[in-house]
Amino acid sequence: MKLVLAEMEATPKRPAGLAAWLAQERIFRLVPFVMVEGMFLLLLALPFALTIYISLLRWRANRPFEQAYFQGFVNYARVIAEPEFWWSLGRTFYFAAAAVTLELVLGFFLAMLVHQAFRGRRLYITIFLIPMMVVPVVVGYNFSMIYVDSGPLNQILAPILTPFGVTARIRWLSHPLAAQWAIILADVWQWTSLTFLIFLSGFAALPPELINAARVMGASRWQIFRRIQLPLLKPAIVIAVVIRTMEALKLFDQAVLLTFGGPGDSTQTIAFFLWRQVWQFNKYGFGAAASVLLLLLLSSLIYGGIYLLVRERALLQQPEGRG
Amino acid sequence: MKHIRLLAVMSLCLACLCALAHAQTLPGDTVEERAINGAKAYVEEHQLQEPSLTILLISLFRNAMPAYARQWEELTGIKVNFIEYGYTDIPSKIMAEAIAKTGQYDIFNHFPYVVPDGAGAGVLMPLDNFTERGRPDFTGIEPALRAQQRYNGKQYFFLLDGDHIILVLRQDILELPGAKEEFQAQYGWEAGCPETMAQWEQLASFFHTKKGETRWGKTFDQDLYGAMAYRAINFSYRHFPAYFGGLLFDQDMNPLVNTPRGIEAVRAFSSIVQYMPPDIQGWGTPQIYPFWASGQAFSVMSFPSIVGYGNKNPQTQIAGQQLSCIIPGVMRDGQLVRRSPQAAGTGYMVNRHGNHPELAYYFLQWFTGPQQGDAAIADPRGFWDPMRRSNLNNPAIVEKFGSQFIETTMANTKYAISLLMLEGNYEYFNVLDKNLAQVMQGNLTPEEAAARIERGWNSVTEDVGRDYQIESWRNGVASGAYLDTFK
Repeated sequence: MKLVLAEMEATPKRPAGLAAWLAQERIFRLVPFVMVEGMFLLLLALPFALTIYISLLRWRANRPFEQAYFQGFVNYARVIAEPEFWWSLGRTFYFAAAAVTLELVLGFFLAMLVHQAFRGRRLYITIFLIPMMVVPVVVGYNFSMIYVDSGPLNQILAPILTPFGVTARIRWLSHPLAAQWAIILADVWQWTSLTFLIFLSGFAALPPELINAARVMGASRWQIFRRIQLPLLKPAIVIAVVIRTMEALKLFDQAVLLTFGGPGDSTQTIAFFLWRQVWQFNKYGFGAAASVLLLLLLSSLIYGGIYLLVRERALLQQPEGRG
Repeated sequence: MKHIRLLAVMSLCLACLCALAHAQTLPGDTVEERAINGAKAYVEEHQLQEPSLTILLISLFRNAMPAYARQWEELTGIKVNFIEYGYTDIPSKIMAEAIAKTGQYDIFNHFPYVVPDGAGAGVLMPLDNFTERGRPDFTGIEPALRAQQRYNGKQYFFLLDGDHIILVLRQDILELPGAKEEFQAQYGWEAGCPETMAQWEQLASFFHTKKGETRWGKTFDQDLYGAMAYRAINFSYRHFPAYFGGLLFDQDMNPLVNTPRGIEAVRAFSSIVQYMPPDIQGWGTPQIYPFWASGQAFSVMSFPSIVGYGNKNPQTQIAGQQLSCIIPGVMRDGQLVRRSPQAAGTGYMVNRHGNHPELAYYFLQWFTGPQQGDAAIADPRGFWDPMRRSNLNNPAIVEKFGSQFIETTMANTKYAISLLMLEGNYEYFNVLDKNLAQVMQGNLTPEEAAARIERGWNSVTEDVGRDYQIESWRNGVASGAYLDTFK
């Protein structure tokens, strides 16, 4: 009896049931994958499926959901036939193109200046990065005060513009064109920091040997910049373009806080259009259909950008003498 | 004999019914007492431990409301909590609650025009069963304001704010030596409160003065704009009905804006903008109120609380210099028609999905009751404007607002009308706002804008459901909320 007990104690306990199944190595390796898939299903696939389902319903939230009914692709047809959707989309592309271009140019210029060694460099870097860390709502409120008709911006512009006979009372928030540029400039102020950061890290990663060699061989500053630095910075440029374009196409905060889409609908972006359809007009089915269409449209653009990025990397990683 | 017996039985039945009805109404001599007694009885009946109510509150009232919450807690033992949001955010919170049914809020604080969507979605509780027991008192409130508390024949809303728009002029400018005489000579009537919108524009044109000019013995050291009013997106629709002077739809929900009368209203609404500050299309209350108080405008059409702001704000330059006027009208078929839209109008609603709708109702009845409501209107920290006849003789309210203003705003209540009480009203409003903005910017003619508004409104009506909208519209018109009736 003692022998039997001793044998039992010597044999390690083997887990049974689910615990035993989970303890298998091949299953254990799958666990992270299952968690990722689960998160994907829960956080992305399920809401997306629900959005598609709602987009096929006739549902305004001013009636209970129980009264909603399936109506096929009617909402999609309505969105496509809605001029305001296309105007808002076009306006968003215009804002994004203008803002991102300015942010890239300014960010690049600042990074080029700051990446060189000089006294107080760190302080400048810190200062240039601050806007990115400010909450967009605060930026919106601050700029709404700056842009007031008799506010600081017009007062700064007055001595510059008045000698040329131009009135310095620019209606930043009530003239359609000025209001659009008011939003673009607020966006540029906040997000130039990000492009600056990307370009700064790009400049820091440039191989100094290559630049020194070029210098020794008599290349001018412009030639070094044009022939060496700029090509090597291409991946950073593409990253900055893709990231900022993706964000700029979602522009919402400034349009709400500065102009609430006005005057008229001259600053209504596509994100604001969607918000208004759903949360102000209660058109949930219509809003869901517009969101799905927008997703298809923007994701094709973003994948285009990512494709560019990947191709750029592949070109850079090719061994010398090939391609 | 048989008849006498029948009569006796009938009398007995009647007495029983009366007794039953009396037993169902709550004890208490005043509206407030009945509400307190009702709340106490409810807590006792349901044996609630540490009962509380949560109000989705317009953040503007964050300074004023806590005192009333404490008072209610002292009277009933029921704690009141607040969740604050800006008034533009609250409608979407109400509609989100309609879907989520969380019961997070017991009471919603907003304006009457959120009722149609909220009632349609089923998130607002009809209060008629409770009012039968609590017997609130709406006497002294003009019928059109009272009607704004109801939608499709049911009570959903308790109003505590006479927020119908008013015109205010600068008394000190009017009284500059020679100004009135010069005006009289030019326009043939004595400068003062205008009868019509056209007369207001004459005043605006006359008193509009450039910086540095010397007129009537005064050198203006800053521009004096002839007029100010709300012309931004999300605000224009609150003023436009004053220029239209009648129902915006016929009895079959066909828009009446694309008519000579509608086109004229669009033209008048836009024309006076030339005398307003150039940024006016981007301004809301945070810009308009301080600008008015800074003394840079001759007249303003606004929420009535601007008069209190002009008198009491620490930075004001115009204290004691404001002349309140009844809303100017428009001439329709040879008659003067004044209409003062209830541009906001703070009030309270009960969440159907809340934990204790009946208890929430008692708070509404207590807080908006004749005595308690008047105390709130008199509160210097609050933004509730006079609306009951009793306000005229309430010393605290007279002290806060000044008798000239109170008499004017109470006279103005006779012309107060509701904004559109229809499902999807935000979309109707947005169509109007966008097209008015295009006219003010010179991109559309009034005729083009009117045609676009008509098309847009028809599209909203079809989308919500024409038959349903027709029924709601007819109910609303019949209730007297718009003062006008179908011809």
